[in-house]
Amino acid sequence: MERDSSVSDERKYTNGEITVYWKPSACVHASYCYRELIEVFDPGRRPWVDMNAASTDRIIEVVNMCPTEALTWKWNDDQKNNSISPDQFNHVSFRRPELLHEQTKPVIVSPVSVKVMTDGPIVIKGNFTFINNGVSKEVRESIISICRCGSSSHLPFCDGQHRKTGFTG
Amino acid sequence: MDENKEFRPEAEVEILESGPLRISGNFILKDLKRGDESAPGEVFLCRCGKSNNKPFCDDSHKNK
Repeated sequence: MERDSSVSDERKYTNGEITVYWKPSACVHASYCYRELIEVFDPGRRPWVDMNAASTDRIIEVVNMCPTEALTWKWNDDQKNNSISPDQFNHVSFRRPELLHEQTKPVIVSPVSVKVMTDGPIVIKGNFTFINNGVSKEVRESIISICRCGSSSHLPFCDGQHRKTGFTG
Repeated sequence: MDENKEFRPEAEVEILESGPLRISGNFILKDLKRGDESAPGEVFLCRCGKSNNKPFCDDSHKNK
């Protein structure tokens, strides 16, 4: 089964050894990528990903920190994609199996994970009830990112504004 | 469409109007800046950016 919506905002970058997929609509601005590896992931540069600015191992390490499917990766040598260790969190086989043409269940976290990001939002992941404006909604195997700086234009959600305002906390 | 009907919310996440974020239930709180990890059962997290006890709310949002 193909998901059309996943293709429209797709971008990919390669260094010949691995391909990194970028899905902007999935980004919750947790900011691991550019905090860890600004040489490769620089939001102020176009194109913002430079695959030649760090080793393959280091790029894989940082892509695996992304809490969403915004950044995923796979080996260009398809043979190597057949035996991926579960600690390679953002390999496409776990996050975006449609890119491998095979279905694999994503890892589900329980209890709910609540991460207060350094100088950034609160990233909440798992199965939970979300109550906003008195409306209660059951959120399943999902990720939301809540603004902590008070400056977002999409409150209560983070829109990345903390980076511009220099929020610390 | 969905074959997996066993779904149980583990926690409750509530946006309090003009106030903090309340989270209760089965959750792990990780504070990456301060290196803390806990399972407090219930927390009120600052959303205004003004708390002096971040990431927790200290009612600073009430002071204009």
